[in-house]
Amino acid sequence: MKLKYFLFFLLISNLFALVAQRSENLIPKEAVTVFSINNINLLQKISIDELITYDFMEDVHQELFDGSTTGKTLKDSGLDFDQKLNVFYGKGIKNEISGFSFGVKSESALFSVFDDFELIHKDFHGAKVYGSFFNNLIIQGNSALLVRVEPTMEYIGEIADSIWYARGNESVFDDFESEGEDGEVLDEQLYDENPQDKDLPIASEDPNVKNYYELRDSVQLIIQRSQLDSILHELFLNKVNLVSNDSIFAEQIKHNSEGVFYLDNSRNLEKANGLWYFQTVLPSLYLDIKELYTGNVILGDMYLKDNSVEFQIDARYGEKLGSIYEEMNDAKFDKAVLKYIPQSSTGYFTYNVDIRKAYEKAFEVIMPILSDEKNAQIAMNVLTLELLNEYVNKDALFGTYKGSMFGAFNGIKKIKTKKIEFFYNEETFEYGEREALAEEDMPVFTFGFSIDRNDIPEKVMKHLSRLTSKVKNMGDYWRMDNAILDAAPVYLINKNGLFIITNDEDLAVNHSDGYGKEALTKSVAKKARKSGFMYGAVDIAQTLNRFPVDLLNDRQNELIQSLKGKSGQLELTSSKTNKFHTTFDLKYAYSGKESSAKHLLDLINTIYVVTK
Amino acid sequence: MRYFVFLVSFLLLGLTSCIEIIDDLSVKSDGTGTLKYTVNLSSSKVKVNSVLALDSLDGKKVPSIEEIKQKIDQFIKTLDAQNGISNVKVDANYSEFIFKFQCDFGSVSQLQDGLKNAIVILSKEKSIAPLEHNWLSWDGNKLVRSIPEITGRKIKELNDSDVEQLKRGTYTSITRFDRVVDKFENREAQLNKSKMAVMVRTNTYRLKENQDVLENIIYLSPIKN
Repeated sequence: MKLKYFLFFLLISNLFALVAQRSENLIPKEAVTVFSINNINLLQKISIDELITYDFMEDVHQELFDGSTTGKTLKDSGLDFDQKLNVFYGKGIKNEISGFSFGVKSESALFSVFDDFELIHKDFHGAKVYGSFFNNLIIQGNSALLVRVEPTMEYIGEIADSIWYARGNESVFDDFESEGEDGEVLDEQLYDENPQDKDLPIASEDPNVKNYYELRDSVQLIIQRSQLDSILHELFLNKVNLVSNDSIFAEQIKHNSEGVFYLDNSRNLEKANGLWYFQTVLPSLYLDIKELYTGNVILGDMYLKDNSVEFQIDARYGEKLGSIYEEMNDAKFDKAVLKYIPQSSTGYFTYNVDIRKAYEKAFEVIMPILSDEKNAQIAMNVLTLELLNEYVNKDALFGTYKGSMFGAFNGIKKIKTKKIEFFYNEETFEYGEREALAEEDMPVFTFGFSIDRNDIPEKVMKHLSRLTSKVKNMGDYWRMDNAILDAAPVYLINKNGLFIITNDEDLAVNHSDGYGKEALTKSVAKKARKSGFMYGAVDIAQTLNRFPVDLLNDRQNELIQSLKGKSGQLELTSSKTNKFHTTFDLKYAYSGKESSAKHLLDLINTIYVVTK
Repeated sequence: MRYFVFLVSFLLLGLTSCIEIIDDLSVKSDGTGTLKYTVNLSSSKVKVNSVLALDSLDGKKVPSIEEIKQKIDQFIKTLDAQNGISNVKVDANYSEFIFKFQCDFGSVSQLQDGLKNAIVILSKEKSIAPLEHNWLSWDGNKLVRSIPEITGRKIKELNDSDVEQLKRGTYTSITRFDRVVDKFENREAQLNKSKMAVMVRTNTYRLKENQDVLENIIYLSPIKN
């Protein structure tokens, strides 16, 4: 499911409901990601008309709300606000499943919104099944499931090819050309603008025999029906669903926070395309990796408060993987980084890990798994790793990059560049060129990491400066000219146990030992120090005010402008990591009279607009 | 088409408001002449480089430097093949983003037709509305000129959120002759010392607000027999 759909469902989810009843029992066990909403009172009054003005609704409303909803609110849509609304998504090797389950108070009102659905089964093991293209709506008692099952193109292709070749046909792709004239790849927009130019598949000579594309369409339809049948049988006949199938989810869904989030990473791993090689060629190694990832689940709770939205996230993992994370995150906070983050920074993070400890633990956990594998290639890799482990100077390697780092965004600043300008002879109007100084806006960032071996990057920089005049030793720092976009310099500060990369001239020239009193305040610094292995803070209002608007179109600029009046602080803190889990708290606090829900909608929309 | 229009936008305005354009037209008494058109984006090269680093912007594909070079080569070949057009040259500086176009023409109408045809051929469209507008006319004693509408439209589309940036951009229109200028109608135009060249300069902010600011009707002194 596309991000925009997920955002939509997430949004719709926010509009709903209080006490759990049965809607969660309609979540298929194939769901890998679930967002479930409990809170009822937030957005009931939001009209559907208002809802569909948001950018993230642009595709969805065409599909679901085709004008028949004018003047209606979600309250009018027949939904039972006393039940949870559960949005789910899962992708397997053979199919992709998405949808949401919810409570139904009035079927007639519901069908005034979902007015494209037609009845398919009157009584499917006690449920009514409706269909509209690839979407299916199943109502059982007071709960409903809107589900879409789509076979993966790889699986459809596999079956279609198998039938096609078994019938004695030749490859259909022999004459396929992926490129247009002049080697220019056809882009979708160009293609859509000239529908008359489309090359339609050639019909077979015998109208009773399907060509490849017709066959593939038929295969897709049959597989889709079969997969949907299988899922519905599990849900309505066998009564197997995600709640009954996964005790972790069953426990999580009981939480009475406004929203509950569930992501089963271990199942994502099973279906990761990149692991097909292990699955087929090295099955025992695949099983070992799978075991390593067992229990890798992310659980979350969302709380909507008067002036804040808070997320509590629990990242769980199995003991073996957890032991690596535990070692990695058991790092002493490097206080030196705090000196280099100015109070005026609109967004920054600190990240404390010990790469050496993580390496040692990973070596201890993973090498025995690899060593047991009876495969020549793996054996050679194990030997290479063993030899590297013996011969590489780990003190130098991990002394250069220890793992702890920080980053800061300090807004947009004017940076000095050079330009060519034309000058005119006022008598003849002839003109010539000359070099002049210019100023351009550029986002200013600083990124740095802790280092014990400052001498190593120093050696690198010294040699580079001999190779090119663009690298210059400026005493307290190094300067690399035209390093960014062939126009602006980058500054490298290699002192005080840190290696810092920045395009902020002020930091390099005036604050190479830190910002002193202008650095983060003690209270903020304390928060960062106390926050497990990770801490992050973003001042939304300041960041928006410093957003580089030149590259956005008018509509996007309008959105940014509309958000500029809002103030808000985003803060991420983390707990200590142990062998079983790490917890994170993400808090978005703001001032203003708008409801949390409206605020959240605006933010979701901004994220959607900026990231699409 | 969108790809070509994006390329034209890129070359004309570089998606930025801080731009320098010089449009230098020389017309001889027999109607032949030379057009030089210079676009200088060097003061926005950070922005241009950052745009070029993207795959797409606002739903449109961003061309690579190689693609821009190819399109410019195609444009040179196509324009050179047009009736009455010769010596087409483009000097492109891709580190400073300065593009200098130059061509000779047999008559003012051949120049306009040649440019229109070349753009239509490259864009693979039957006609392009902004090109219908005639920005030049010459009767042997009087030259009426404005700016090409496609340029005017692109300037109109510039985001006016940063007025200061727009004010730093310039458009200079120079018209040269082989005989003395008698008079001209644009009050902001200047005549050079030899009285054979007229120059009008404005900034992109003014041009965006008033597309007619560069319009001029220039009357030449009669030809001496």
